[in-house]
Amino acid sequence: MKVKVCVGSNCTLLGAMSILDQIDDLKIIISEDSDNYNDEELEVEAIRCLGFCKNTDEKVAPIVVIDGETMYNATSQTVMEKIVNKIRK
Amino acid sequence: MKESYVDLVRIRRQVFAKVAKLAYDGADLSELEKASFEILPGEVATYRDSIFRERAIVDERLRLTLGLNARKPTEHHRVTDGINDVDVDKIQFIEPLINVITFACEACPTKQFYVTDNCRKCLAHPCTNVCPTNAVSIGRKRAIIDLDKCIKCGRCKDTCPYSAIVQYDRPCAAACGVNAIESDYLGRAEINMDRCVSCGNCIIQCPYGAISDKSQIYQLIKALKSNDHMYAIVAPSFLGQFGPLASPVQIFEGIKQLGFEDAIEVSLGADITTLREANEFLERVPNEIPYMGTSCCNSWTIMVEKLFPDQFEYISDSSSPMVETAKYIKKNDPDAKIAFIGPCISKKLEALREDVKDYVHFVITFEELMGMFVAKGIELSEIEVSEKIQDASSLGRGYAIAGGVAEAVKQVALSMDPSKEINVEGASTLHECVKLMRVAKSGKRNGYLLEGMACSGGCIAGPGTLASLNRVRKAVIDFKNQADIKSPLENKIIDENLS
Ligand code: SF4
Ligand code: FES
Repeated sequence: MKVKVCVGSNCTLLGAMSILDQIDDLKIIISEDSDNYNDEELEVEAIRCLGFCKNTDEKVAPIVVIDGETMYNATSQTVMEKIVNKIRK
Repeated sequence: MKESYVDLVRIRRQVFAKVAKLAYDGADLSELEKASFEILPGEVATYRDSIFRERAIVDERLRLTLGLNARKPTEHHRVTDGINDVDVDKIQFIEPLINVITFACEACPTKQFYVTDNCRKCLAHPCTNVCPTNAVSIGRKRAIIDLDKCIKCGRCKDTCPYSAIVQYDRPCAAACGVNAIESDYLGRAEINMDRCVSCGNCIIQCPYGAISDKSQIYQLIKALKSNDHMYAIVAPSFLGQFGPLASPVQIFEGIKQLGFEDAIEVSLGADITTLREANEFLERVPNEIPYMGTSCCNSWTIMVEKLFPDQFEYISDSSSPMVETAKYIKKNDPDAKIAFIGPCISKKLEALREDVKDYVHFVITFEELMGMFVAKGIELSEIEVSEKIQDASSLGRGYAIAGGVAEAVKQVALSMDPSKEINVEGASTLHECVKLMRVAKSGKRNGYLLEGMACSGGCIAGPGTLASLNRVRKAVIDFKNQADIKSPLENKIIDENLS
């Protein structure tokens, strides 16, 4: 699974790094309980601003993209839940 | 700000970005009336009982970020009241720096021991047996603690086999290392300014975001727009703060794009402070003073001044790295206006000191700086850069991490006088700092170099940071290792005779 976390200025201001930290923690939770999860690799990438925040007046940051699906106003709990649901057996 | 307080972090930082935007756009400050609505639109409350209260609190944050006092809830004020006083491009801090937004405070109960549902009224009931004041009895449903009798020793809590007794404290008071949090007539937090050392710990720990400092971003941006002798001096904990893709040079370039003439590492000033403190230690300890405390953490020095006044003369006379860096710039450009950018709230207070105010004109935090990057639309990771930053030694760059200051001073002192024996002890929370000073006062640390830092882990954990401690620690160590020189003694930028 590929998780891209935008660390552009807007997303960083509104907590992107804390999302990255939480995903790192989640990796530990998963590795300690590996029987219950697929062996699919969890690939996390910090990426530059995708322009989502620039082309709108709406509030969209932070942005996280999981396997091509974009999450707006992402929070660590919504992101972690999505990841866990995808790889939990 | 404590990262897991996600909603609070977001509101706080949106306010920074908003105020920075108003300043860059040169907007009329009557626009401020609308700002809280733009940050929290709609009619449905998300965080508290009512959206109107939420917005009123955001209004208060906007005022504090503009450098204004919070309003008194007992008097009628418009959000814009007093604005003409701050709509200027000079330093303008109206004390107090740390403010309780009274109507954001939920008046959490003060410290007490509390029996939860876990209690089974067990036959052994050790809680009653260990209580030194006979305050615990067994009630109908569970054990009961007589709060009038309780002396808060915690023995009942420690002995309960069911973890049924918990200790409860208001987060702000628990976070305060100098017992400065008191209560007003409604039980809300009130800060005793005679004790407060402006460390900012209560600000980051309050789960309601009820305490906030003031900011100077508005005045700083106005100055940036009109003055071309503006310099940024950047604290050694800046590494990793602005996202994993922003390199140190990109951060410095980004700062220049905000309107600064140049950006300099405060680690350069740390090198100078190290040389001065090493000399001072060799000269004065133990003949003139029994031990020496470092001087770079402002909250630590104010704490000693307020709580241990008779020991204050044992704190080093050397200026802090912030001030040394500013002095270095002033020497080359006497018209320089200097902004310190760091993790620290206490530095805002240090900059008001008589002997500092002509050197350091603005102090903002990394969080506030990030708000400025956003307001100006700067994407750090996309900036083209070539050269490296080489203002300071590896030891100077290590000041950001607890233990780093004493380590630098000790190493340099030892290269000056290898025969000297130097013992070092450090404390890196305000609670620990107070304990360390008690021990030092009793004469048990004579001959020592004492390093005091108010933040847990050092400046890398300051209240104005954005990234987690581990992230920043790693980035600081990387940057330390990239320094061309190891020791301040090799730093060619420092030319004056320091002794
Ligand atoms: S923790 Fe916050 S809400 Fe609770 S008493 Fe302290 S300031 Fe008030
Ligand atoms: S900063 Fe993340 S989408 Fe623009």
